[in-house]
Amino acid sequence: MIILYVLAALLLTWSAFTFFYQYVAAVGSLHGVIAAFGNDRILTALWLSFSSAIVVAILSIILGIPLGYVFALKDFPGKVVIETLAVDVPQTFPPIAEGMIFLLMLGPTSPLHFNLSLTFTALVIAKLFICAPFVVSFAARGFREIAKTGINVTARALGANRFQVFYSVFLPLALRDIGAGVSLCWSRAMGELGGSLLFAGVIPGKTEIIPTFIATQAHTLTVEALAATILVTTASTLALVSFKLFTVRT
Amino acid sequence: MKRLTVEHLASGYEQHRVLHDISFVAHPNETTVIMGPSGSGKTTLLLTILGIIGPQTGRVLLGNRNMTHEPIETRHIGYLPQDYGLFPHMSVLDNVSYGLRVWGVPKQERYKIAKDMLSLVEMDEYADRRIAQLSGGQRQRVGLARALAIKPDLLLLDEPLSNIDQVTKLDVAKGLIDLFKKLDIPILLVTHNYEDAHWFAKHLIVLINGQIAQEGTFQTVKESPRTEFIKRLIMPFSGHV
Repeated sequence: MIILYVLAALLLTWSAFTFFYQYVAAVGSLHGVIAAFGNDRILTALWLSFSSAIVVAILSIILGIPLGYVFALKDFPGKVVIETLAVDVPQTFPPIAEGMIFLLMLGPTSPLHFNLSLTFTALVIAKLFICAPFVVSFAARGFREIAKTGINVTARALGANRFQVFYSVFLPLALRDIGAGVSLCWSRAMGELGGSLLFAGVIPGKTEIIPTFIATQAHTLTVEALAATILVTTASTLALVSFKLFTVRT
Repeated sequence: MKRLTVEHLASGYEQHRVLHDISFVAHPNETTVIMGPSGSGKTTLLLTILGIIGPQTGRVLLGNRNMTHEPIETRHIGYLPQDYGLFPHMSVLDNVSYGLRVWGVPKQERYKIAKDMLSLVEMDEYADRRIAQLSGGQRQRVGLARALAIKPDLLLLDEPLSNIDQVTKLDVAKGLIDLFKKLDIPILLVTHNYEDAHWFAKHLIVLINGQIAQEGTFQTVKESPRTEFIKRLIMPFSGHV
């Protein structure tokens, strides 16, 4: 049994050490890092990261909850394959390949004659593909658990149509699962790199987000890159931990 | 007064037929108990009448109304599932008034009806409580009040005493019997328990392997069970270990 605890402690220590090392590294050049937090380029990149992640989270709620409902409540031929393609594949897809596909599909040589590359919209599209499945899978999980109890059947027997059951029973009861999916979606959107890098490019003030800023600065190991790293990881971590604490308390 | 008529009903899941040629009539002012061992098709019968499972053949009529293919939400059936199916995110009052809310009854009016229903089941003091704060027996009464608030044409109960502890079971059963006397609708109660059948059944239907094995008053079935299995089902303590 002790070996299990040792292995568990090993992984936990490694994860914690990796996470906290950025703060340790910052101590050595504290003044430079603090000054970098006020850097206009970093602040703009942070705003673009934050705002695009918010738009992605909103779109994921609007589109992902209905899809999660369909996966949870409907049976149709090929459901397992379709659900895998819609939920699991995007999360494991190489983001750089996804960016390449969007560039071909909606870039300067688009057969649809629709060039969205190097824009804020491109940022959102690239992130949405990777991040929306978090909302879909968590919403579907919540809806499935509710359907297992059969209270949706009782609601219908009382006279509620399917839509009334959706908004008065499924939605409020699955709120915690949906919230978990949205917080993961937003955090993932904050850190997404590959798709954004290729499809939206790195135009400071327009499409440069924190992860792409870090990617372009990292090879020189500037204090700005370190400050940006701290900003993006801290924001994501705070969002996730706050959500977890909130759900535990409620 | 509308009676429930089930005619040559066959039902089941996809290719698997569970119920075979079920026909019976359930009258208002009498409780019809569907009794049978696990897997006999009792719940399938209840869910088919409710409209959750589509019948493969046969008809379900309430009075002269053929509701065989009606959507579940327009059937106007009061349904109390085994675990009572209460909404945990709503108060007792909101649970009881839910059916009226989805029918568009104004808030003041639906709360008044819901409070009347809670009085009927002696739960009016609990209107503002959350479901998690109620005991099993209290939840059952709230579930009943909710089912009755929509003034249903038929009441379906799935093993209503199965989640009640043995000590309070008799009191809960007495309360239910008194309540049923006030209702002027057919009541269909599904159970595998001989005590429930003994307490509630004016009309007993014994279901075995998806078919009606015997039908009559509880007394006639008890006195003249058609098979040894039915005898053991009705009087489980009559044999020797």
